[in-house]
Formats: sequence, C-alpha cells, structure tokens
Amino acid sequence: MIKLAKNFVVGTWSLIKGLAVTIKYFFRPTVTLQYPTEKQPMSECYRGLVGLRPEKCIVCYQCVKICPTACLAITHKQEDKKKTLETFKYNMELCCFCGLCQQVCPTSAIIMTNIYEISVYDRKKLDINLLDMKKYDEWTNTTIK
Amino acid sequence: MLSILDIIWVLVIGIIVLGFIAVSAMFLIWWERKVSAHIQSRYGPMRVGWHGVLQSVADAVKLLLKENIVPAGADKLVWWLAPFIVVVPSVMAFVVIPFGKNLIVKDLNVGALYLMALSSVCVIGIFMAGWGSNNKYSLIGGMRSAAQIISYEIPLILSMIIVSMQASSLSMQKIVAAQAGYWNILHPNMALAFIVYIISATAEVNRVPFDIPEAESELVAGFHTEYSGMKFAMFFIGEYTNLFIISAIAATLFFGGWQGPVLPGAVWFLIKTYGIVFVLMWVRWTFPRLRVDQLMGFAWKVLTPVSFFNLAVTGWLLLK
Repeated sequence: MIKLAKNFVVGTWSLIKGLAVTIKYFFRPTVTLQYPTEKQPMSECYRGLVGLRPEKCIVCYQCVKICPTACLAITHKQEDKKKTLETFKYNMELCCFCGLCQQVCPTSAIIMTNIYEISVYDRKKLDINLLDMKKYDEWTNTTIK
Repeated sequence: MLSILDIIWVLVIGIIVLGFIAVSAMFLIWWERKVSAHIQSRYGPMRVGWHGVLQSVADAVKLLLKENIVPAGADKLVWWLAPFIVVVPSVMAFVVIPFGKNLIVKDLNVGALYLMALSSVCVIGIFMAGWGSNNKYSLIGGMRSAAQIISYEIPLILSMIIVSMQASSLSMQKIVAAQAGYWNILHPNMALAFIVYIISATAEVNRVPFDIPEAESELVAGFHTEYSGMKFAMFFIGEYTNLFIISAIAATLFFGGWQGPVLPGAVWFLIKTYGIVFVLMWVRWTFPRLRVDQLMGFAWKVLTPVSFFNLAVTGWLLLK
C-alpha cells in the first residue's frame, strides 16, 4: 500500500516535471534557421569554392603542381619578363577542397572562399575559368574578398 | 409538417456548423503543428501565408486532388462508410454545445446523455475502417480502439454524471446556468471529476499518450493506414473536431461554459475551449505512449473505481 502511494506520488510528480520542461521550451526562442532566406555564417577557415584574385597572381604554377587531383590548369602569355594570366581553368568536378593551393600560394592569390552553395544542373558549369568572375554569380551573390 | 422556412433554417444552421467545423479543424491542425514545433524549438509551418496559417488549406486542397485508392481485398461498403460514420457523430455533437446564451442549435433536455451516446458511435466507424481495410495493422488498430474507447467510456460518463447531479439536469444550458459565479472546477469533487474526464477524453479521441490505435511505431497508422485522399482527410477532420468537442464539453461542464465578465459569451467559451485544447496539445507533445496492458489496467483499476468513489461522495454531499 505504501509502495503504491509512493508510486502514485512519484509518478504524478514526474508527469508535472515533464510538462514543466516542455512548456519551458515552448516559450524559448527557436533555433531553426530559415535556410534560403537566412544563412549560416561560415567560419573564416571554411574550405568552399576556390577563388582567385588575379591581380595578385604571379603565375608561379605552384598551385598547379601541388594540386593532388589536377583540377587547376593555367595558361599565360609572356611579354619581356612579365607573365600575365590568359586562362585559369578550375575543374570543380575534380576538386577535393583540400586547400593545398591556398597554402602554397606565395601571394595569397588563390583562396578558398566560404561559398558552399555549389550545386549545378549542368555538368559543364563545373568547369570554370576563375578569371571570368561573373561566373560566380551563377552560384552565389557573394563576391570574393 | 416541415415548411419551406424550416428547411431553409435547417440548411443555414447546417452550413454554419459545417463551416465552423472545417475552419476549426484546419485551425487546430495548424495550431497543433505550431505548438509541437515550438515545444521542440522549431518554427513549424512558415511558408504558406502569415506564419503558415494557410498550410492546412494547402494540405486540404492537396488531399482533395489526390486519388482515392481502394485496397483490392477491402470490404467495399464497410470501407466506404467508415469515414462518414466517424465524422457524422462529431458534426451531430455540435447540436447541443452552448456557444453563448442563445447561441445553441437546440438545447435538448438530455444534452449530456446525447453527447455520451454520440461519443460511442465514433468507435463503430473506427472499427469498420479497421475491418474493411483488410489489413492486419488496420484490424489491430480498430480492435485496440474499440477496446480502449469501451473501457474509457465508463469513467468519462461517470464524471459527466457527477456534473449532471450537481446541476440536477442533463441540459447543457442548465448545467452552464447552475455554474453562475462559481465554476464546477472549484469544488474538490468536481476537480477530481475533471481530471478523470480529461484523461478519459484524451483516450476517447485516441491522442497521445493514449494513441495505441494508431501507434506509428507498431501499426503504421492504425485504422486509417489504407485510406488516402479525402477519406483520410475525413478521419483527420473527425479527430480534430472530436478534440474540439471534448474541450468544449469540458469548458461547459467544469469551467462555466460561456459565462464570464466583460467579453461576450461566445468569446469566453472559445477562450476556455481553446485553452483546454492547448493543454491537451501540451500533454501530447510531452508524454510517451502507454503500453496496451497498462492502458486497460489504468482504465479499469484506477479511473473507474475513482469515479465510482467520486460519484458516491458527490451523492452523499448532495443528500447531506
């Protein structure tokens, strides 16, 4: 009988405690991010789409050499001793987002941006020329820092 | 003989009640989703209309446009009738619910009895759905529902009888009038009756923690597993209308119905009803489901003796 009464009291109390927990959460602010309209800020070291600051590039080919998947391809033209970029092909299909190109770049011309919305419907769009900056608009509105 | 005016009057009342049921059910579905979402730190529906208020309308349109699939081995007639038998009693129950001083379709002198009778008809529809689907999960769901509702009917009716004894009437308006100034819930024996009532009523409408007839993890969706399109929507509307009705009955029997200061009666009635609905939703999103043996044991070994004891005490108090 005592056990039964104890059970009843403990059980009822636990029910009330449960209700208290849920009502507390009911009045708390929600944690959901309304994704397409609100976006999670990415951290500084996030390795997203590869970006290029062409004015800084000295055409040293370090990034092409270090790239483990050979997704970068550069052509240049040489006038006297100065090299200028002609194309900077980046094949996103092959890229493994390892960030080695960023590490090896002596002038920080090639960087990993925090662009993460990189899905496309057409496979051809994965092969991009980084000099053609407008192409970034196809993925996002953010510009390279 | 019915005159033309009578027929028009009946039609107008019918359209008002059906319109209210449809809007109320859609509102409750939206509200349930919102309450559950906020309890779980989510937003719930947000896209359709302001904070997703039109989500239920969109869902209703979707369900209307969906194909009605009849299982090959189904008992066609029983299968077709089941959703109507679930919905019709909930619509009929609106006849005796007093929304305001004169806002009642018909103040039957056996109002409470009428409601008790209607609440048992619903189970026939659920059982027919379970049997007619020719699906083992549906059948188990229907069986469980029948067992559960028959068990919980007894404490439910006993606690309603206590209120009728106090008001010495079964008419809903007279029960409300008897509570002028002093709600039934403020009497200790009535408070106990209210607790018994609300537990049994939750079981009666198959809501968590008493939702074993449609336990997802065991029975897919229970008795309405095989239903699609508008037939499924009818079960859904029936469920939410029943939720509204049990809350409305609780508000009428224990919380003074439409009586309250300043605001008009109908507003007070809706505030009380939706308050109770909110409590039921709060309970739903807090507790886990009961086991089937615990469920039956609880009805027969706890609620029924408690309500009989309460009945005896109330009788003694009235005769004293």
